[in-house]
Amino acid sequence: MPTFVYMTDCDGCGECVDICPSDIMHIDPTHRRAFNIEPNFCWECYSCVKACPQHAIDVRGYADFAPLGHSVRVLREEEKSTISWKVRFRDGREKSFVSPIRTTPWGSIKSPAEYDAPSQDDFKSQELAHEPETLKVDKLPALTPGNLKTGVV
Amino acid sequence: MFTSNPFAELTVFLPPSAMQIFIGLMIVAVFIGTLADMLHKNSGKYFARRRQQAKAAATRELGGADKLSMAIKTLAVEVATAGEFCNVQRRISHVLMFYGFIFYLATTVVMVFAYPTPATPTPAIIPLLWNIGVIMVLIGGYWFFFLLRVNVARDGQPVFRFVLADLFIVTLLGSVTFALIWEYVQTTGNLTATKIAFGLYILFSTLLFGTVRWSKLAHMFFKPVVAFQRRVEEASGASSLPAPATRNDGAN
Repeated sequence: MPTFVYMTDCDGCGECVDICPSDIMHIDPTHRRAFNIEPNFCWECYSCVKACPQHAIDVRGYADFAPLGHSVRVLREEEKSTISWKVRFRDGREKSFVSPIRTTPWGSIKSPAEYDAPSQDDFKSQELAHEPETLKVDKLPALTPGNLKTGVV
Repeated sequence: MFTSNPFAELTVFLPPSAMQIFIGLMIVAVFIGTLADMLHKNSGKYFARRRQQAKAAATRELGGADKLSMAIKTLAVEVATAGEFCNVQRRISHVLMFYGFIFYLATTVVMVFAYPTPATPTPAIIPLLWNIGVIMVLIGGYWFFFLLRVNVARDGQPVFRFVLADLFIVTLLGSVTFALIWEYVQTTGNLTATKIAFGLYILFSTLLFGTVRWSKLAHMFFKPVVAFQRRVEEASGASSLPAPATRNDGAN
């Protein structure tokens, strides 16, 4: 079910707009707060829910049980590299989970924009930009015509 | 220019009571606008329901001292230093506009009611604070308008595509910009130019305070209440959010 925004908690920072893989989180022209422009296209990836610094985004439950008071909330703590979930069931039970989410410091992975632009020669290669060094290997295995069985090519 | 009362000079073409009546009307307009905004959005009803739900879900009873401490923290963090903003630039811009606006409003009221004519000389500090307030709003406001508005900075909209959410910032910037222009033009002695600049200042000020029902000026009243309620929910165990993790898996 799609995400929605608690308007009184949202401060209009735009983190959800940047992170939404479906590009459906946008800014409302009346209140300058985030909103989901196309709920049908939301696949509940929870990216915006985790990224929202104000915890102002939630995922709407299915209509048959949402009114009965369940909730699934998440808290991402970047400095601790943890993500915590609190699940409240309809009968009042609660379950909490904490998981590690990183093995390297937050923000330590270079973004694509921080790499040099590929050269013309790079476009002739079968490898993607900045491979293989970004994959932390010396060389990627590749098929050459000599490796192929006779009759296949 | 920065240390003389611009409102006292208005007596050349306007009786002092005109500005006093105007300020009275603007106070009434803000009151009616805020009330209409609350009624339209049902914010009172929504807030009462949120409080009831939080009370029912609370796992810990909060005492008067706890609530007082939270009220002080809300005033110190969310109100005084705009602590709700996660973006530092927006926080600085908001603080500049907030304090600038308070200086601007308070000194306007003092100058118009206590020192309405040149016969009652204004202490230099009051017009100076008025000008400091205007400049703070101009810096914070234009910074916000051109670079920090989220629909422009993150949603890729053109700077000059105006939407209803811009009503407050545009009228605020119009009011303080023309206040400064009017103050300067008045010192040159050109009466026609002074009347035009003053007219524009009054127009934008009327739009600023007269459109509270549609703009976001009313957030000054309800935002601190919501921030306080959020603190109460966290402290009483009513918040549906997970508690902060006690483990640290960070490689930081």
